[in-house]
Amino acid sequence: MRRIAWCGGMAFAAGMVLAGCSAAPDAGLDPNVTSKGSIEVTARLVDIPGEFIDRKDYDYAFVMEYEVLETHRGEVSGKTIYVGHYNPLKARESVADARVEDIGGNVRRFRVGAVHRIALEVPIDDHYMGGIVNRYFEQDTGPIYWALWTNRVVL
Amino acid sequence: MLAISKVFSAVLVLGASLQAEAQDAADARVAALAREVADKGWIVYGARAADGAWDLFVSRPDGSGRRNITNTADFEEAAPRFSGDGTKLLYRRFAKGTIIDHDKWGFQGCLVIADADGEQPVVYGADREFPWACWSPDGKQLACLSKGGIEVVDLATREVVNTLQRKGMYQQLSWSPDGLWFCGVANHQGRSWTVVRMCAQTGAVNAVREYQNCTPDWFPDSKRIILSSRPAGQSGDDGYGYTQLWMVDGDGGNQQLVYGEDGCHIYGGALSPDGQYVLFTRGVVDGSGAEQDGAPVCIMRLGDAPSIGGASKDLRTVHRETKDGPVLVLEMGWEPHWTYADIGGE
Repeated sequence: MRRIAWCGGMAFAAGMVLAGCSAAPDAGLDPNVTSKGSIEVTARLVDIPGEFIDRKDYDYAFVMEYEVLETHRGEVSGKTIYVGHYNPLKARESVADARVEDIGGNVRRFRVGAVHRIALEVPIDDHYMGGIVNRYFEQDTGPIYWALWTNRVVL
Repeated sequence: MLAISKVFSAVLVLGASLQAEAQDAADARVAALAREVADKGWIVYGARAADGAWDLFVSRPDGSGRRNITNTADFEEAAPRFSGDGTKLLYRRFAKGTIIDHDKWGFQGCLVIADADGEQPVVYGADREFPWACWSPDGKQLACLSKGGIEVVDLATREVVNTLQRKGMYQQLSWSPDGLWFCGVANHQGRSWTVVRMCAQTGAVNAVREYQNCTPDWFPDSKRIILSSRPAGQSGDDGYGYTQLWMVDGDGGNQQLVYGEDGCHIYGGALSPDGQYVLFTRGVVDGSGAEQDGAPVCIMRLGDAPSIGGASKDLRTVHRETKDGPVLVLEMGWEPHWTYADIGGE
């Protein structure tokens, strides 16, 4: 019995390794991310400060910290940028609504460590009018960016 | 055993009698309030008509003389506001079947300007134009809130005559009766859902009340603001709490409860033109019921503030000195407003 369990565990681990190896690199390219906004970056999500607010009847943008890996269009203020994502508990493909119509992407959930290709605008207040949860307010973050299109990237 | 049973029955009868007396007294106080406000102008609000569509209704403040003043076949109407002199009305008109969002309605649908009785409606802009429009004190201008800022629009020419930075404001703009201030809901000092006051001349902003506030409106004296607030630390609704009606000085001082009730969310606060009475909605669903059928429209005397409705054990623990004045409950509605002008009708 123990041997069967050991073999099963090994098979699972091998499968996981193979699955990891088989994930094809994906630069997150699509016509939206390469055209929307004035800035386009590939960046790693390094911090989600606390829990998202889980109230479906209230909309908000949630500011997260990214490390910029590559800038494709426009300019960013530094290696670290702070980006507001609208209603972060929603998959990007279904996040657009009456308040924010022109956003999307294929990221389904936000995880620290994930790499995203993002079309951005800055500052957020010029492009988004709604509640902003900015838990970095006491820090010197520079301008807050507004995420228009957010695709996942596999390096 | 028989004696005990008789005593028990007597206690029950006495209890029922006392309860009936208390109810009669409460009814009498509400009836007195209804008589008091009956001839004090008109209120207007959005409500579901018989066909299920949102229309605008006016009634006397006691609920009498209620009539539908829009009643359009192809549209829905809501969010009415009388001009300062009570001769005009602005509201938003939506495509039939639109679900009105309690936080997005200011940029949903078209702005319409009409006579105060709903006659002569003029569609003032296209869909989503003139967002969060509110009256200037003299009714000759509108102020609108968009990503570009607070834009003051000349009513006659539709031209933007002034623009201020919105300083984080994002919904529910309101212009003070003296013309010196705006208030609205804002991101301020890192906190969303803060009601702020902005100087109309300089654009300087100060927090009025922080943490979970919305639907601010001015007192007639332009010195105080009435708003909805859901204070932290409530245990009800799994810690989410219930939204209460508060009044605060424009500089953020003198924060006072007006009305609250555990189990209910209080929204749409507005003062009578003389500042003696408070108009609001009291719903069990958060968000004021815009997405459903609204909530009961209520009236109380400002002099009875603070008042707490129902048992509200938690709220009474926090606010021990309440007056618990009568509350007149009218029809279901949303975003009510009040004028003392004679707008016609019985």
